[in-house]
Amino acid sequence: MGWEIVGVPGNPPCDPSIHKSTVDVIASVVEPKLINTLVRKLGQVAPLENLRHVKRVKRRNVEEQNVLSVILCPTVDDEKQLDFIPCDVLELINIHQLHPFVTKVSKYAASSKEEWEEQCKLWPTSYHPSMSTVVGISDFTEEESLMICKFMKCVIEMAMCNQCGYQGKNAAVIVDPSRKQVIASAVDQIFSRPACKDTSRNIEIVSMEDSNGSVANYGEDCYPICTSGACIQSNTASSCMYPWKWKKHNFLPEATIMKCGSQSSDSSWHPLKHVVMIAIDKASAIDRMLFPNSPLPKDLYALKDEWESKSSSLKKQKTQKIENREELIQNEVIDDLHSEVTRPYLCTGYDIYLVYEPCTMCAMALVHQRIRRIFYAFPNPSAGALGSVYRLHGEKSLNHHYSVFHVSLTEDV
Amino acid sequence: MNSEMTMDSALNSISPLSFMELALQQAKYALENLEVPVGCVIVENGKVIASGSNRTNAFRNATRHAEMEAIDILLKEWQENELSQLQIAEKFSKCVLYVTCEPCIMCATALSILGIGEVYFGCPNDKFGGCGSVLSLQDRHSYKGSQVPEEKSFKCSGGVMSLEAVALLRSFYEQGNPNAPKPHRPVRISQ
Ligand SMILES: [Zn+2]
Ligand SMILES: [Zn+2]
Repeated sequence: MGWEIVGVPGNPPCDPSIHKSTVDVIASVVEPKLINTLVRKLGQVAPLENLRHVKRVKRRNVEEQNVLSVILCPTVDDEKQLDFIPCDVLELINIHQLHPFVTKVSKYAASSKEEWEEQCKLWPTSYHPSMSTVVGISDFTEEESLMICKFMKCVIEMAMCNQCGYQGKNAAVIVDPSRKQVIASAVDQIFSRPACKDTSRNIEIVSMEDSNGSVANYGEDCYPICTSGACIQSNTASSCMYPWKWKKHNFLPEATIMKCGSQSSDSSWHPLKHVVMIAIDKASAIDRMLFPNSPLPKDLYALKDEWESKSSSLKKQKTQKIENREELIQNEVIDDLHSEVTRPYLCTGYDIYLVYEPCTMCAMALVHQRIRRIFYAFPNPSAGALGSVYRLHGEKSLNHHYSVFHVSLTEDV
Repeated sequence: MNSEMTMDSALNSISPLSFMELALQQAKYALENLEVPVGCVIVENGKVIASGSNRTNAFRNATRHAEMEAIDILLKEWQENELSQLQIAEKFSKCVLYVTCEPCIMCATALSILGIGEVYFGCPNDKFGGCGSVLSLQDRHSYKGSQVPEEKSFKCSGGVMSLEAVALLRSFYEQGNPNAPKPHRPVRISQ
C-alpha cells in the first residue's frame, strides 16, 4: 500500500491556484534524431534548476507524426524576450537551426494526481506518489518515512476493532522518534456492551522497542481488540470530531459501564478526555514514574549547574551509557542526578500519531506540552484545528510551533 | 413575602469583583507553589462550587491549567452524585467562571465543549488567548464567518481586576519559570 506524508502548512495557501501557476521557458521543436544529443548538451549548459519536476522533452502526435519539443532554457524572471538566451544555448540554436519560442510550464510540482494530469496538458511534468516519495517534504529519510508509516498504521489499527470493522474512533500514540519508542497511547473510550470486557480499556505501552532498537513487530496483543464481537456502540461522546456531542447522550455511566467488569476508574466518562488529552496525561504520568525523585524546581537548577560543570568529564561515559532510558535509570554510574538532568521537558522532541486531525483544545494542549511533530491520517472537517477549520500551528503568537503532517493512504490495500 | 426579592438583590450585590478576588487567591496559591500564577473559581447560583489553580509544574503536564483543575472537580463530584450527561450539561450552562487570565485556546475550547454559562477574566492572554486575543472561540460569529450553534458560544467579559492578575504574573516571570528549559539544554538522547 502506498503512503503519502504531506506537510500541512501553517498558513492557508495565499492563492488556492498556486499549483496552477506557471513560468515561461524557451523551447523549440527538434528533429527526433537530434533529441539525445541536444538533451545531453542542454543538461550541461542550461539545467532546469528550479524546475526539476518539469520534463525536458514534450512529445505530441500530429498527423501520425511524433513531434518532439525540448526546453532550451528557463527565462530570466519576467524577461520573456529571447535576447536572454545564454550564449551556449544560442550556439546550439545556430548549429541545429532551431526556432525557439516561449511557452508555459507549471511552476510547482503537482501535489495530487489530478493536479499532475492538469499540468501535463501544458507541458509534461513528473509525479511520484509512491511510498518512498514524500510529497512536499524533502527532509524525511527513507528510514524515517518507514517509521512514520509504521506508527501511523499502528494507531489506525488501534482505532479499529477487528470484529466490528472501522468505527470512526480516534487513537493517539506519543512516540520518542530518536528511539522509535512509544511513550504513551490512548483510544477513544467505548460504551461497550456488558459482554465486551476489554475494549474500553486504554492500552499503555511503555516500550515496544526490540533489542535491535528498531520498531518492534506490533503483535495483536498490543491492541485493544474486541474479541467477543459484542462491542456495537462506538462512543463519539468525547472526541475531536464531535466535541459538543457528549451532551446529546443520556447514559448513566455507572449503570452502563460498571457491568462491563472493568475497574471503577473506567466507569467515569469525561467530555474533555479526547485521546490527545489522555495520551498527554499518560506521558506525564510516565515521566513522574520514571523520575519520581524530581527535586523542587529551584533545586533542579542548582543540580543542572553542578552537572554542567561536571559534564565534560562525564561526557564520554554518558554517550556510551544512554542507549536507552531503562539502561540509564538502572545504571549505577549515572546516578539520580544525571537521570534528572536528562529527563525530557514535557514532550519536547516527541511526535504524536493520530487517526483524526485534533480539535482546538487538543491541538493547543499539544502546543503546551511542546510536542515536536503531529501526524494524522484523516482531516476533521467539522472541528479540525490543524488545517480544516483553523490552522493553529500558523499562529505566530504561540510560544511553541510544531510541524503538522497529513499521512494518507494513496491506494487501497 | 419579598424574601425572594431580597435574596435576588443579595446575589446581585455580589459583584464579579469579589469572585475575582477569590480567583486571585488561587493564583497566589499557584505562585507559592512555583507555578504560573493563574487561578479561577466556578460559581453556581452565587455560590463558589469549585476552585482551581495552575498545576502544570507539579504534574509535568502543561494542560493542567486552573480551569481544567476546577472543571475536573465538578465532573467528578457530579458523576459521584450519579448525574447524567444531560443533567451535567444543564448544570454547566448555569455556571459562571472567574479566571485571573483569559482562558487559553485549549481552555476556551473546553469551556465551549462543556457549554459554560458565562466567563469573566482578568488580564488578556496575548500569546494563547482563546477568548479574543488569538482566537475567539467564545464567539458564535467567529466560526469561519458563519454562525455556530448557540450552545457552542458563551458570554465572556475581560479586564476584571486585570492589574492584580498581571502583577502576579510579572512577579513570576521576573523570577523565571524554573521548569522551563534553559537555553543551555541538557543533552538530548540521540540515535
Ligand atoms: Zn480534541
Ligand atoms: Zn488554559
